[in-house]
Amino acid sequence: MATSAVARETVFALRRQIAKIEGTLPERLEAPTGAASVDANVTPHNLTIIRRGLTVAPPDAFLCTGAEGLDTALSGGLPKAALSEIHGAATRDAGAVAGFALSLVSLILKQGPPLPVLWIGTAEIFREAGFPYARGLHALFGIEPEQLLFSEAPGLLDALWVAEEAARMTALAAVILEIRGSPQRLDLTATRRLHARAQNAGRPVFLLRQAGEPEPTAAPVRLILSAAPSASRQTIAGPLAGSIGRPAFTVSIGKSRTALPGQFTLEWNPHEHVFEERRGEEERAKNPVPVVSAPRRGKDPAPASGAVLAFPAVASPAPGDQPSPRKRATHRRPRRAG
Amino acid sequence: MISHRQGNAQRIAALDERAEALHLKRGMGIADARAMHPSIDVLEADPEADRRLLESLADWCDRYTPLVALDAADGLFLDVTGCTHLFGGERSMLDDILSRFFHQGFDVRAGLAATPGAAWAAARFASDRIVPAGEEEALLAPLPLAALRIEPDVRASLESVGLRTAGAVMAAPRAPLARRFGASLLLRLDQALGRLDEAVSPRLPVAPLSVERHLSEPIMLTDDIERLVRLLATTLKADLERRGEGARRLALLLFRVDGAVSRIAVGTSRPLRAPLLIQRLFHERLAALEQDIDAGYGFDLVRLSVLSAAAFDMQQADLTGETNDDGADIALFADRIRARLGDSAVLKPVAVESHLPERAIAMLPFAEAPQRISPPKKPDKIQDTKPVFRPERPIRLFRSPEPIEVPATEMPEGPPMNFRWRRALYRVARAEGPERIAPEWWREAPGQEEAPTRDYFRIEDSDGRRYWLYRQGLYGASQAAPRWFMHGVFA
Repeated sequence: MATSAVARETVFALRRQIAKIEGTLPERLEAPTGAASVDANVTPHNLTIIRRGLTVAPPDAFLCTGAEGLDTALSGGLPKAALSEIHGAATRDAGAVAGFALSLVSLILKQGPPLPVLWIGTAEIFREAGFPYARGLHALFGIEPEQLLFSEAPGLLDALWVAEEAARMTALAAVILEIRGSPQRLDLTATRRLHARAQNAGRPVFLLRQAGEPEPTAAPVRLILSAAPSASRQTIAGPLAGSIGRPAFTVSIGKSRTALPGQFTLEWNPHEHVFEERRGEEERAKNPVPVVSAPRRGKDPAPASGAVLAFPAVASPAPGDQPSPRKRATHRRPRRAG
Repeated sequence: MISHRQGNAQRIAALDERAEALHLKRGMGIADARAMHPSIDVLEADPEADRRLLESLADWCDRYTPLVALDAADGLFLDVTGCTHLFGGERSMLDDILSRFFHQGFDVRAGLAATPGAAWAAARFASDRIVPAGEEEALLAPLPLAALRIEPDVRASLESVGLRTAGAVMAAPRAPLARRFGASLLLRLDQALGRLDEAVSPRLPVAPLSVERHLSEPIMLTDDIERLVRLLATTLKADLERRGEGARRLALLLFRVDGAVSRIAVGTSRPLRAPLLIQRLFHERLAALEQDIDAGYGFDLVRLSVLSAAAFDMQQADLTGETNDDGADIALFADRIRARLGDSAVLKPVAVESHLPERAIAMLPFAEAPQRISPPKKPDKIQDTKPVFRPERPIRLFRSPEPIEVPATEMPEGPPMNFRWRRALYRVARAEGPERIAPEWWREAPGQEEAPTRDYFRIEDSDGRRYWLYRQGLYGASQAAPRWFMHGVFA
């Protein structure tokens, strides 16, 4: 018994070392049971997070989305000082993709100083998917027009150059780079450069890709976005039939070093500027009028729904519905599952 | 030989030495010339190209003085007041100009005098002559009337009364001359003699500050140019500091050995004087122009000018020696993007009071947008005095609304049941609206036909995507059925 505990501790120490070298986050590794007494320093409270380059990041290195299921799946949230990819399956999903990225930006602005946000896009994407509209952004995400900067680059190379220059600036709250399709130029090297600069500056870079195939990139997290049918508007007399309520997104984790693939439905609350995870249909039917808004962080009476929805497609595939080998490329699988 | 059309005939406009040796003359008809010498080559005159050539020569002459003016179609005025000592005196400057032009393959005549009129006459009728101040009369007296820059008909009438030289005109009494030949003759005469001032209007505004470096060994590499920019900017910094200013527009002039001049300008959104930052701006500009700048045999003169300057606010640095000013970082970043990708590469939205969605936000280039002095206050829930009704607005708006096909609507004035946009069919699951937005009649020109009213609908399709559509016009208002447009996308 004692030898096995010692062995486990050794394995744990080695894992920590590997994690340190690889730049992943050691506290996400499972602590061995009983190891806490041996190594009193390793408690969840005083862990430091080691970034690549062996600089020590503050513990709030994660952007907590506020949706429990997604945060748990990503073990803490999206990394703040990193490149994050947000994909949309088609150009017509541009609204959902941009909306989700902007709600993350809104969360960042809520926590940090009111720095400007730079949105870089190619002329093509702004023509195809529409130019960001500052009035709507203000109404929905509380981002003031003065806080926004747009850069329209004639081509992809120019857009990448602007993004690289912007990613190293600490005077910007976030950088959004929007690209259409799967261009060759946006390869592993280009994304690695962006990621490294974002890490050094400690600012997030969101890479929005409309109608792009998932490709190997340096971004630690890739989320795949699509619009979800919105709930009806809530009135004092119950939901208003036929009305269009808050924006809703279907988020699936396409790639993450720590998380398993999963799918979540989030609703953006434009008044509080927070995400709310959509609860199951049966519960809404049971309690259609939320007299008191449900606690977001507190103990929820219902079991967390994120786990239930984790593998809708993978867990029970229909016999004729096998995913094609192309879609099962290695990089779509999680790199490491803990 | 160059011909041009004068009146109704092709006439000789200019000709070379070999044609002159054949006793051909300017103004002679081409038909006559061909009859005398059938083998002559005749080219059509191209005044535009001549003009461009003269302008490029004027650019090149910028190396001697910033005050260069064009004179008619074939001359340049250089105001060299105070510049001659830089080239070792008047004579050596004139020799330098002549020899450099000669090596470029131009046949140039030059004259230097205290007045533009005398210099003009000296260049054309007594080449390479330097006329000291006060000796204009002696220069002009023996010259023909053409040296006085007067109209041909005035000249003809002067000659008809026997006044054939400038000296004769000068000797004649002034009052009868003015009465008979008009005031312009005496004006030209007085200007040439220095009794009246004549202003030469330069082609380009004179830069308030400029520094330059002559190079004995021409440079070709972009890196060398950038390093030189840094050196020049360091010199410029002292001048700017003395004036308490920073540069808002800078121009870099590269004089190529063979006479071509490249002019590269950058703008800054804040007054700037740090050499390193100036170098960085030119680095981007040079990178963008890499294809367009041909170093050829190298540049032998590099000049950095401040085209416009503005007051420079000094900022208190903290103890680490760094000013904590994020705005300056962003301004510099925007300038660099602007230098490489053009003025409208960084845009800033500015809210405008308007009902029309596309007009409610103006996108201004970063340098023109009003600069924010203090950061915006965080939204405070108590002091939130925003209007209660806030219309729903999309997060993306198409630059021009895209027409969509709507086969059927639920009610005549209601939302569509399905629509076709970009060749794909969408089924409408839910709709909200309409929100009627009328055109802003107060902006329209009187007499212009009023734009139709728009009825906007928020639409959610069967997949959950949300769109903003509008119907332009009302049913029954006119013969044509109203058209539908897609204007934006919601989150």
